[in-house]
Amino acid sequence: MLRLWLTTSALLSGATIVLLLGFLIHASWPLLQSQGLAFASGSEWYPYEGLFGLLPALAGSLWAITLALLLAVPAAVAAAVVSAELWPRRGGTPLRFAMELMAGIPSVVYGLVGLWLLLPLLEGGFDLLTGRSLLAAGLLLALMIMPTIMLFTDDALRAVPQERREAALSLGLSWAALLWRVILPEAWPGIRIAILLALGRAMGETVAVMLVVGSIDRLPDPIYDLLQPAQTLTSRIGREMAEAAAGSLHWAALISGGLVLALLSITLSLLAQRRRAG
Amino acid sequence: MSRDLIGKGAIVLLALPALLLPALVLGYIAHKGVAAVSWQFLFDTSQGIGAQLSGSLLLALGACLLAAPLALGTALYHRLLASPRQRRLLDLLLQMLQGIPPIVFGLCGLVVFVHLLQWGVSLASGAVVLAMVILPMLVLNTIAALARIPAEYGEAAQSLGLGHGAVIGRVWLRLAWRPLVTGLLLGTARALSETAPILFTATVFSGVVWPASIFEPVTTLQTHIFYLAQEGSDPRAIQTAWGSALVLIAVVAACGLAARLLRKVGYT
Repeated sequence: MLRLWLTTSALLSGATIVLLLGFLIHASWPLLQSQGLAFASGSEWYPYEGLFGLLPALAGSLWAITLALLLAVPAAVAAAVVSAELWPRRGGTPLRFAMELMAGIPSVVYGLVGLWLLLPLLEGGFDLLTGRSLLAAGLLLALMIMPTIMLFTDDALRAVPQERREAALSLGLSWAALLWRVILPEAWPGIRIAILLALGRAMGETVAVMLVVGSIDRLPDPIYDLLQPAQTLTSRIGREMAEAAAGSLHWAALISGGLVLALLSITLSLLAQRRRAG
Repeated sequence: MSRDLIGKGAIVLLALPALLLPALVLGYIAHKGVAAVSWQFLFDTSQGIGAQLSGSLLLALGACLLAAPLALGTALYHRLLASPRQRRLLDLLLQMLQGIPPIVFGLCGLVVFVHLLQWGVSLASGAVVLAMVILPMLVLNTIAALARIPAEYGEAAQSLGLGHGAVIGRVWLRLAWRPLVTGLLLGTARALSETAPILFTATVFSGVVWPASIFEPVTTLQTHIFYLAQEGSDPRAIQTAWGSALVLIAVVAACGLAARLLRKVGYT
């Protein structure tokens, strides 16, 4: 009995990811068959005319994630330095506790904040007709991933042996040099994991992004114009999945977007795990 | 000394957005939400969010009931029966599963449970999808908890002639129940905060107070906020959304806090 329970559980748990990918491939097969890999580079997405280009959503996701990381990483790493180096009371500082609380806030709440706090601010600040844009998505994502990056960086900084700090200080290094030359390099593997995890979170985030990104399927024109409404991989699925008829080409196209998302996320996750082990 | 002050000041300045913005946002949600929350708001099913709150809890409970025995069984297999090679394979598959974004679980649930198995948009579909979302974290947490028990405990019990079942029940679970419950609480918090996986698989906008069977849809706090947020023309809807957001954060934070307290007490 016991052996049966354990073996069945392990088989089911292990098979989950295989089945999940299998069903995704199966459901997106009609599109892969009719368009091949060309759908990944098509820049036009008009479901009713049979055009299913993935490029606008890919570009949108890439922009939103890049923006979020550029904004969040410096501030979050600095905040972790404050909490681990300047205010390193043993155990959990109040700051760490606050960050854990923030990291637990559901993404739909961030969506509400984005829609009713961030968008009006952007509209006022940039004098826009609508604040829905890649900039809004990037800002919101930055806010969402900051606590995660800070918590993991804080762990990495606290794991740096105290002797390294003392040795560096006894050599007469300034605090800035100690931080830049000793502590950050030593903690870098951990910080890199933090960034990879945050990257995965930002890429897979759906509800918050789809509420503020505008959901218009076109490449930004010019490509660096972040103030226009756009689309990401996740927001496209979230917006259109309910209207696509089950089994149609549109449906298969949306699921193949999900498949691309899954494969990218698995790569990131394995990369982070490998770093952690190595 | 003054050089140090400049460096530290620069770091604090750089950290300010990460330190202040989250606090400001939380404060804003609290400020907006408190105005909406009352006893009637919490428990009434027509004026308040009673139905949504119970729907969220039902889904999370279902997900935990499905995932917990599976996670415990998998972790015990990992510890007791797996060869090193199976162990590596299981680790790899679980890490892959952990990387999957929530929306992809929703897609898969829509394809498999809603359409293929004909469960429809229902409590059952949503609970299974959420169980898949929290499964990897539960298994990895349980594996870690079991690994922290010194090997001698199990060996000593085995040398007394106890079988696997007795070692698990009398030694391991007794030693590791705290971290296991901690993991389950964190899993509940995760299941309560996910929206994307249940948006197409388990929920409708309104009209359900208590599902008649597990093959009926539910309303949840998460999707309630999602729908209300887009009702731009109705200020009352937005106020309800802020109130619901505050309640959702409180419920999730309560799970997190309970987990934290339990972890602090430590082993045995």
